[in-house]
Amino acid sequence: MGESSLSSLSSDFMHEVADTPRGRGVLTCIQCGRCTSSCPVARVVEEHNPRRLMEMIILGYRSDVLLGQLPWHCLSCFTCLDRCPQGGDIGETMFAIRNIAVREGNIPRGTLVQAQSLFDTGRVVTPSRMALINRQKYGLGKEPAVDVKDVQKILRKTCFDKLISQGS
Amino acid sequence: MKYAFFLGCLIPAREPNYESSVRRIAPKLGIDLMEMEGANCCAPFSIQSVDHMSWLALAARNLCVAERMGLDIMTLCNDCYESLLMANTILKEDREIGDKVNEILAGVDLEFRGKTEVKTFVDVLHKDIGLGKVKNEVTKPFNGLQVAVQPGCHLTRPRRIHFGEWMGVTALDELVEATGARSIAYERKEACCGGPLRGINDEVAQHVAKQKLDAIKAAGVDCIVTVCPFCYLELDMGQLEIKRHMQLREEEYNLPVLHFAELLRMAMGMELEDWEIRAHRTPITRILKV
Amino acid sequence: MHKAVAVIGGGIAGIQASLDLANRGFKVYLVEKDPSIGGRMAQLDKTFPTMDCSICILAPKMIECAHNRNVQLLTYSEVKGVKGSIGNFKVKVLRKPRYVDESKCNGCGICAQNCPSEAPNEFDENLGMRKAIYMPFPQAVPRVMVIDKDSCIECGLCDKVCPADAVDREQQPEEMELDVGAIAVATGFDMFNPSVIPQYGYGRLKNVITAMELERILCASGPTGGHLIRPSDGRIPRNIAFIQCVGSRDRREWINHPYCSSICCKYAVKDAVLIKEHEPNTVVAIFYIDLRAFGRGFQEFVNRAKSEFGIRFVRSSPGEISEDPTTSNLIVWFEDPATRTVHHNSFDLVVLCPALIPRKGVEDLAKILGVELDSYGFFKSADSVRKPLDTKIPGIFACGYCLGPKTGDVPDSITQGSGTAGRIAEILAVREES
Repeated sequence: MGESSLSSLSSDFMHEVADTPRGRGVLTCIQCGRCTSSCPVARVVEEHNPRRLMEMIILGYRSDVLLGQLPWHCLSCFTCLDRCPQGGDIGETMFAIRNIAVREGNIPRGTLVQAQSLFDTGRVVTPSRMALINRQKYGLGKEPAVDVKDVQKILRKTCFDKLISQGS
Repeated sequence: MKYAFFLGCLIPAREPNYESSVRRIAPKLGIDLMEMEGANCCAPFSIQSVDHMSWLALAARNLCVAERMGLDIMTLCNDCYESLLMANTILKEDREIGDKVNEILAGVDLEFRGKTEVKTFVDVLHKDIGLGKVKNEVTKPFNGLQVAVQPGCHLTRPRRIHFGEWMGVTALDELVEATGARSIAYERKEACCGGPLRGINDEVAQHVAKQKLDAIKAAGVDCIVTVCPFCYLELDMGQLEIKRHMQLREEEYNLPVLHFAELLRMAMGMELEDWEIRAHRTPITRILKV
Repeated sequence: MHKAVAVIGGGIAGIQASLDLANRGFKVYLVEKDPSIGGRMAQLDKTFPTMDCSICILAPKMIECAHNRNVQLLTYSEVKGVKGSIGNFKVKVLRKPRYVDESKCNGCGICAQNCPSEAPNEFDENLGMRKAIYMPFPQAVPRVMVIDKDSCIECGLCDKVCPADAVDREQQPEEMELDVGAIAVATGFDMFNPSVIPQYGYGRLKNVITAMELERILCASGPTGGHLIRPSDGRIPRNIAFIQCVGSRDRREWINHPYCSSICCKYAVKDAVLIKEHEPNTVVAIFYIDLRAFGRGFQEFVNRAKSEFGIRFVRSSPGEISEDPTTSNLIVWFEDPATRTVHHNSFDLVVLCPALIPRKGVEDLAKILGVELDSYGFFKSADSVRKPLDTKIPGIFACGYCLGPKTGDVPDSITQGSGTAGRIAEILAVREES
């Protein structure tokens, strides 16, 4: 992890995250560590430490946080969220961090594949041809069609398409 | 009772056996599954991670479809449930965001009005249909089949939003026991299966799933019952992947994984068809003989 | 105007207020819901940081209340109505029947020895049993037995063996109306029930207990005779964990105690030292978020706890506690502050320090008095800065923990009790002169 001298620490990043949707929790974290103690990934991966991530946000280690793998290894299981006593809610804050990371062109491959599929087909994962044929066999009827055009209109309005083209 | 049936993406793509069992038991329980025309992906966590407004707008679009039908939504997948429920809650509570989303939805001639509720299959069975009616339809109860119930993360978390559903895990246990099976306690029942990391970091996903499977194995059960298709995938196929990658013994785990809808279906006297049995990567023949 | 005061609540704050007022010539009615005065302090083993025996400091004051000519003890009683205004309140009190004649009973206890029926002992936090006819605790004031009708099987044995013929099974509830000039509320606190936080296993895991339960175990007059043994198998625990802030500093809606309860860090360190004095080879760890050791010799006490007694202070709030089914030992999961990785340690006993909350029933009392409660159910001061002991109703005052976690410890409760007595004496004296 990159070391920053005291003079380069600032609360700007903390406030940037606080002003991002789902990121308000950074303002109330008391660093109690209950989140890390509860996290299923922390039990498997030593470096995955939600409390530490929150600490880094608060202290202003912007690039370490945004370029790191940790936010993308979060399961969004919300175990931490239910146990956080102060609404620090690192589980929610992870979304804010990931949104910022994506805006800066940082998006892992697996996520990109789903996002692209969503834009192209209106679904994050689509049935294979075989699966579609089998539907008839199994008496499930036709797969409900997605209104792809509407989906694309929406995603263009939110600039989703631009976001994912940055990352690919 | 009519519901706007939200299938999501994963079930039609990978788990038609889940859909099949639901469609078979629904009419017997008085559940009318109305198709949601043109409904799109709920926008699960992977998409929420990309962009906030995209999520809210896409989720809202589905909520609008249900509103137009004048019905509440019933989901099967926990992730869909969480996405739609959270979006519904946020948009109802926060005027400003609601207005912003409606600006986007105006482009597709829709308007979110906050007139629909989002329910999961467990909610519908437990609250709307009622345990009594479910028990009435059980004609071939499992005689004390020992089940490890995997409720999945988003059946009850975040509790803040699910506040009324805090007893969600208990509701699912009661439903399982209504089939004559016994829900067995095990360590960290509320923990995640690891599913969300499939395709992103399979190694971590497998290790998380392994923790779950070890705990379930230690409790000594006959099978696992899931409600979420991610949990099903991670625990069913996951068992084989873990065995292969971590070089475990062939006899390891061998825990059949059933969708709750399948368990209930069999208890209602309807046998699974061959293709549905084969759809389980970990063989379930042991359970069928019970 | 009545030169009399009703004090509602017979804990240390209420007792102090009563004594101060009585010694100034006021008639004091000390109304207490339980069958004995004493409150929480009577349940404690030792107080911090001086490590005084709690009941040893408290009992003389309790006895003074019993003997003081100006104090009338109305125990096993509740306030049911209040009318009037400052100087002229009419307080309706309902005295619950003890089924024992207070004037005859001398507390010899022969009845209890013969009583065949048992019930959980509330004073011992339901850890031990008492008889259906019982003395609330050995130092109870008044020293009178009481029959709990719910567990009484009406065998009549107590009546037969009582040498003083004090059993009165026909006793009826008694309504009294008190004419007083002022009212002081001192209802104290309850402990939040930590089973609402399922991850800590209270209520499910046998060896997870609350701090008050620990006090009763450590106390010589408690269910184990002061022997430090654990609930599941009676073994002496060789390693013990304290977990701070269980419900305190918690903003989650279903818990809603965002405040710091102010005394838990202190009593946890005290209990840890007590345990080490009992059993020096026991490993004791305190898991905390912040260690709030403010005021009167406390930081020094903490330093001694670390250096002299080897108590481990771990800055990490555990996520969950699980159980080893074969040993009933607890496994505490926490982030090790040194290595920043998730660890789990096995403990024989876990002590939870729960949030301190208003006593059950204060909403009803507040309604009767017409006094406001804050959003957590604590009594609201008229002005928390300038008039902390007054309520908005002239003539009604409050002191001690019922006002909320501003109260630090026993000396603070005593101070506030005296302060309230002073306020009441002043207000009533002024009225008398006018």
